[in-house]
Amino acid sequence: MVAVRGVSKWFGAHQVLKDVSLDVAAGEVVAVIGPSGSGKTTLLRCVNLLEDFQQGEIRVDGEAVGYAGAGAARRRLPERVIARTRSQVGMVFQSFNLFPHMTVLKNVMVAPVRVKKMPEAEARASAVRLLERVGLADKLDAYPARLSGGQQQRVAIARALAMQPKVILLDEITSALDPELVGEVLAVIRQLARDGMTMMIVTHEMQFAREVAQKVVFMDGGAMIEQGPPRALFADPRTERLQTFLKRFREGYQL
Amino acid sequence: MLNVLLANLPLLLKGAVVTLYLSAASAALAAVIGVAVALLQLYGDPVTRAATHVYLYVMRGVPLLVLLFAMYYMLPYTGIDVGATAGGIIVIALYFGAFMAEVFRAAILSVPRGQWDAARALGMYGRLLMLIVVVPQALRIAGPPFVNTCIMLVKGTSLVSIVGLWEVTMAGRQIVERTLAPFQVFGGVAAVYFVICYCLSRYGRWLEKRVSYVH
Ligand SMILES: Nc1ncnc2c1ncn2[C@@H]1O[C@H](COP(=O)(O)OP(=O)(O)OP(=O)(O)O)[C@@H](O)[C@H]1O
Ligand SMILES: [Mg+2]
Repeated sequence: MVAVRGVSKWFGAHQVLKDVSLDVAAGEVVAVIGPSGSGKTTLLRCVNLLEDFQQGEIRVDGEAVGYAGAGAARRRLPERVIARTRSQVGMVFQSFNLFPHMTVLKNVMVAPVRVKKMPEAEARASAVRLLERVGLADKLDAYPARLSGGQQQRVAIARALAMQPKVILLDEITSALDPELVGEVLAVIRQLARDGMTMMIVTHEMQFAREVAQKVVFMDGGAMIEQGPPRALFADPRTERLQTFLKRFREGYQL
Repeated sequence: MLNVLLANLPLLLKGAVVTLYLSAASAALAAVIGVAVALLQLYGDPVTRAATHVYLYVMRGVPLLVLLFAMYYMLPYTGIDVGATAGGIIVIALYFGAFMAEVFRAAILSVPRGQWDAARALGMYGRLLMLIVVVPQALRIAGPPFVNTCIMLVKGTSLVSIVGLWEVTMAGRQIVERTLAPFQVFGGVAAVYFVICYCLSRYGRWLEKRVSYVH
């Protein structure tokens, strides 16, 4: 569903992605882990072209994301085409980014109606259904500022789902939450995974990654260092960098 | 004492109406100029960006009165004649439009990055993204400073009396010439400005409260 091939990206002279390749099969959940600054967020943002990348290729469901041609002939696709691709890739952010001037219902409806041109009634019905699914049926007319972080994040998930995306990108979606609110958000993601949603999840919750992901990708210094099924990867890290990362993580966890 | 004021009240009020009209017309025009210049500054090509830059610095660097003089004494030589009232409105709008441009530019820039990201991630772009996500939030942010600029503008309209336009300040000057009672009359003129600006201030405060997103 998502194919990343040899992607490199620079911020000025600073290379933040180094020849990254990975695949996410349809219905698969891939967790991306790695130390702070290793390029996890940047990689996710390249998949829906919120960030440009200078080399390599990303395909979503076979369609090239952002660029056509290779080498000297490589050029950025028109904004209209990029937007169409983005509309098929959901994204949930660490900081929710709900639209503060719209009600919960409107937040979820607005893109299907305005981007997908879905009839208003249909969009409303689907939004209500999604909000029920994330347990917020009683908050339809509330504004985001009135909601807890966990509730806001669940609205953000419903908003992403409303576009019926082929894949959802989740960037540390529980990092900004109080510990007691993490569970309700992860429960929603677990359910999505069971329903066969394709997801790329950047997370610091190792336990969650192990439980929900079919594949874990470890990044460090902008490069993809190691990937594999969670059980094998966590139990038997082959590279020293992953060993160090896991060790530091366990120690941090026990403190 | 107050007889002078009472006797001339109709004339003063007539002047107040003209002041209101001048203010409303030039504020509306200034808002349009402000939005346009702000958008050109942020998203225009290098040429329009440079041109709006020059405009902003001229307007900020030259007093309104000097601009009015320039309009009234120099424009006739160029053969352009828009009439005194329209000329006054245009000069005031150009002058305060520069300040409003700054208000709107700052407001657009203060819409958080994450809002753009979220809108783009949902497939919005260009005009739709601006219209649905950025502008509604920017307008809320711009509301109070916009009202503030309007208050400055209302007071700024008094300067057109110096170049011969008839409005409330001019009306006051004429009444004083006749009655020789400057205190009462200019007290009345001041009251007119005060009432208009006070109402605007209250409105600004009310807007400020509404700006917060807790409903
Ligand atoms: N807009 C930017 N301009 C310049 N450098 C950036 C920008 N965004 C990120 N970087 C740099 O790119 C590198 C990768 O950042 P990224 O946010 O992708 O890391 P991350 O793995 O998501 O980290 P974290 O776990 O802290 O979220 C970092 O060195 C960061 O400083
Ligand atoms: Mg990150």
